[in-house]
Amino acid sequence: MSTFRRLIGLFLPYWRWIAFGILVSLVVVIANMALLGTAGWFLAAMAVAGAAGGTMNYLLPAAAIRAFAILRTGGRYLERLVTHEATLRCLSGLRVWFYERIEPLAPAGLEAYQGGDLLSRIGADIDALDNLYLRTLVPVTVAVLSTLMAFIFLSQYSLQVAVADLGFLALAGAALPLVARRLGSGPGARMVETSSQLRLAVVDAIQGMGELTVSGADRAQQKEAERLSHRLQKDQDRMSSITGSVSALSGLMVNLAVWSAALLGTVLVRHQHIAAVDLPMLVLVVMGSFESVAQLPQACQYLGHTLAAARRIFAVVDAPACITDPAQASPQPRDTRLELRGVGLRYSPSGPWVLTDIDLALAPGRRVAILGPSGAGKSSLISLLARFREYERGDIRLGGYPLRAYQAEDLRAMISVVPQHPHLFNTTVRANLLLAAPDADQGRIEAAARSARIHADIDALPEGYDSYVGEAGLKFSRGQIRRLAIARALLRDAPILILDEPTEGLDSATEREVMDSLMAASDNRTLLFITHRLAGLERMDEIVVMDRGRIIERGRHAELLNGNTRYRQMHAVLVFPPEPAAVH
Amino acid sequence: MTNVTGWLKQTGIRAAKPLRVAVALGTCSGLLLILQAWVLAGIVNTVVFGHRGMTAVSPMLMSLLAVFAARSAIAWASERMAFHAAANIKLDVRRQLLEHLFALGPVRMVAEHAGELATTLTDGVEALEAYYARFLPQMALAALVPLSILAVVTPLDWVSGLVLVATGPLIPLAMIFIGRNAEALNQRQWRRLARLSAHFLDVLQGLTTLKLFNASRREAAVVAKLSDDYRKSTMAVLRIAFLSSLALEFLATVSIALIAVLIGFRMMWRDLGFRAGLLVLLLAPEFYLPLRTLGTHYHARMNAIGAGERIVQLLKTEAPPQPQAALALPASNRIGIQLQNVRYAYDSGHLVLDGVSIEIAAAEHIALVGPSGAGKTTVVNLLLGFAQPDSGQILVNGYPLDAVDRRQWLKHVTWVPQNPRIFHGTVYDNITLGRPGSDREAVRAAAHLALADEFIESLPFGYDTVVGEGGRGLSGGQVRRLALARAFFKDAPVVILDEPSASLDLESEAKLTAGLDRLTRGRTTVVIAHRLNTVMNADRIIVLDHGQVVESGTHRELLGQTGLYHRLVGQYAGAG
Repeated sequence: MSTFRRLIGLFLPYWRWIAFGILVSLVVVIANMALLGTAGWFLAAMAVAGAAGGTMNYLLPAAAIRAFAILRTGGRYLERLVTHEATLRCLSGLRVWFYERIEPLAPAGLEAYQGGDLLSRIGADIDALDNLYLRTLVPVTVAVLSTLMAFIFLSQYSLQVAVADLGFLALAGAALPLVARRLGSGPGARMVETSSQLRLAVVDAIQGMGELTVSGADRAQQKEAERLSHRLQKDQDRMSSITGSVSALSGLMVNLAVWSAALLGTVLVRHQHIAAVDLPMLVLVVMGSFESVAQLPQACQYLGHTLAAARRIFAVVDAPACITDPAQASPQPRDTRLELRGVGLRYSPSGPWVLTDIDLALAPGRRVAILGPSGAGKSSLISLLARFREYERGDIRLGGYPLRAYQAEDLRAMISVVPQHPHLFNTTVRANLLLAAPDADQGRIEAAARSARIHADIDALPEGYDSYVGEAGLKFSRGQIRRLAIARALLRDAPILILDEPTEGLDSATEREVMDSLMAASDNRTLLFITHRLAGLERMDEIVVMDRGRIIERGRHAELLNGNTRYRQMHAVLVFPPEPAAVH
Repeated sequence: MTNVTGWLKQTGIRAAKPLRVAVALGTCSGLLLILQAWVLAGIVNTVVFGHRGMTAVSPMLMSLLAVFAARSAIAWASERMAFHAAANIKLDVRRQLLEHLFALGPVRMVAEHAGELATTLTDGVEALEAYYARFLPQMALAALVPLSILAVVTPLDWVSGLVLVATGPLIPLAMIFIGRNAEALNQRQWRRLARLSAHFLDVLQGLTTLKLFNASRREAAVVAKLSDDYRKSTMAVLRIAFLSSLALEFLATVSIALIAVLIGFRMMWRDLGFRAGLLVLLLAPEFYLPLRTLGTHYHARMNAIGAGERIVQLLKTEAPPQPQAALALPASNRIGIQLQNVRYAYDSGHLVLDGVSIEIAAAEHIALVGPSGAGKTTVVNLLLGFAQPDSGQILVNGYPLDAVDRRQWLKHVTWVPQNPRIFHGTVYDNITLGRPGSDREAVRAAAHLALADEFIESLPFGYDTVVGEGGRGLSGGQVRRLALARAFFKDAPVVILDEPSASLDLESEAKLTAGLDRLTRGRTTVVIAHRLNTVMNADRIIVLDHGQVVESGTHRELLGQTGLYHRLVGQYAGAG
């Protein structure tokens, strides 16, 4: 329930639009009832007048019928416009709200969602939140209000008819959806479970077909997938039986409401409690009163989905931030010397140590490589230096002051990082580069691109630096993305340059080129170079070999190669000159 | 496009009978609805103009109850019919797709497309349901029910009949017109929304990058501005797009109002009885309803066509012919393999193996080395029977491999690929792959030999821990050791390995090396090698380049020559 209240809170700023949307929807529903009722009364009255051989004032009711018809059609149009306007406003607000919440948590707080489609699920969840307005708030409020108005109207003629109508409306609009939800929750959950199992079985079959075939398990896997397909059908069968019964029953409710209105009306006319001409009107109004409750079962379903999405979103934004900025302004660093002493890191207070006893000294202008297999803790080290995570043990100092004394943004202004998976935004090449230095001119941009050996590639594009990257435009190769990211990091004139596996995915010729440019660019900068490849290491001032969070060896290339070292062992691999991949 | 609609139609034939029953039931329900309206109008007429009470109307009220019951039962039955029709189609299509998937075989499975393929087999097939269960029956009902109503209304009141005839066909026409325009508009709108969602996702994915450049805070304003721009442009489009549905709504509602007014006057002039008039008024909305429902189911058709396209595309991908070979290899735990002048080319015509001959003695250890694209993987695929040589042949203990039953041959082979797959299931299931119900002691023993028992026992439920989704939660070293345990468990005389090129942490690496040594001892072994250590310990190294064997011999022999191998490892060998 608190999820619901919290979600409603997010919609509060737009209450005017929301209320307006509900009002117009209500008018549309009421106009329909009024149209039916008036038509019923008009018919009876005209027939009575005709039977008596006389005439009646038909101008007003005939005009009213036309007016209600126009009100309904026009109202529907306005309703669509208003509710969409309100939805879009909410959507925009929700995105900004979410972004502002998530920004301080990134990237550590989002790490669990990286990779795969988890991040896009978050995006879809945000989109799902505005269902609350369009698919739940509007129909439920309109149903309640229009039911109330139908009740008041009917009770002017007969309390019995009004109460009977209300009873059937409650059955069709509240009891049946609740029962359906209750009965359907079991099969519904099983359906979700079975279909995700089916998906897993199919993915296993596709990605593991070779191993399944060699193990002789291919037929068993196919049978398993077919079994799940059958089970899914069985679950859906149960669900269809429930939804089929519910929709048949809710149809029955409308009919029974009309039936009891006819029955009660007959008695009331007989006892002259109501005029005979009012009977068709009452019957038709009862019929019309069911229009608004027809959407309630769906609203009930949507509410469930929306709340589930909201719970996931709230869980993401409620994660505690890893880093809090100090209250005071950042100190003025004495120089750009970076020092780590006995640094230890773990992701949770009881978790395993990710980094243990890390000692590192990065004097200005020094080039240090950190080498190790995946899982050695190389990238965690970067997240400490970029102030994405808090270190638990030891001390890290920049320019004589502890890292914790700096505002994170001031610290990051001194460090330029090329992350392991650099992100290119879906915009122009130029805009992507300018991210690093918003006021850089073309000259500086080109210089940085030249240093990263990417200028020629950009220049060859039809629109040069104004070409679009990604979905909307061309696709860059992995190597080109790396070089663009390096150009972006170089464009930012920071004294410390950190590169996380910058040559991953490059062919050896380009790798050499990029290394050359990096060496040139780091002439007057401190360079921290993280890699699991071996090229270019002979040019480093120090090579630090890590294994499972610890430093196991350090020294220069020649020293490490002469001896029974892990470093030497890592060189004992067969590296053929790569060739362009064959096309299947 | 046309072949997709053709496919949808052809697939629907399988469920023609239940679909026809569903339509018949829907029509019945429509006829009962007319009856119901007739009785209801009769009741009101009796009370208002017959000035009679309960005794006169109670038979009619009772018969109404019977009609209600029948209509509810029919509604339920027709829903179930439609469901079963669609469900059987979905089962059939999914079975067909699965069979085809396995017929395509491992070589044609591109791992990157796994997600997309899985979506086609799950959600794609599900998208067919609404088409068969809703759209198709509604198509028939949209013609049958309004025609029945028209047949009742026109003799009673030709004026109203005229109004219905004049406006009724306009609704599907308007719908087709709107459908076309709205589809274009919708798609444009959809693309816009997709672009906005994509931008937001883009920002989320790039948040680390934004933050590294201290640009993340100013991006909030960009998110707000884009959403706002999107709202304005969307509303500009919607204001016009909704006009067409306004026209539709106008047509249906205003004709009902028009009919009501016209009937009223004809009653006053005594051209028409009250009962007939009320009946027409009750039926008028029901005349338009099936037509409008058809419109709401129209997008089911679009979805089905979208899904159908991907399904047809997958089914059209030709499967390679399966050799029908029945020869059973005589049982032996010593297996020698000969490749004789084997040639193999991809479908594209690209020649991968160009006359390769390799002789592998029983229990011999062979290392395959060569640059990427040299044909190492193809040699393995041929040995595993995933592909057949275009010419030349492979002999196993003297028997031609293409004459041997593939399943029976594979019982002699263990294969550990570079990235072993961990299947969704327990650790036990993963080790006993293909032989469920095996002895637990044997599984434990295999895990012990693979040095995997220690970590398996530390898992929450030991051997019964569910792993999967590609081994999430297991480290790279653990995945490889689990695959090794699988290989030990199979205990086959031939071992084929694709050595990982990326290194692991020290401990995992040491354990893996020890496990592999144990596994290959005494077995015929072919390994695609990336490590110096592996090639140095091999009995023989085969160097492949451009689909040909360019060198062959021991590490020492090859170092003595000045070929590709020497150039490759000479520098490291010199340092050692």
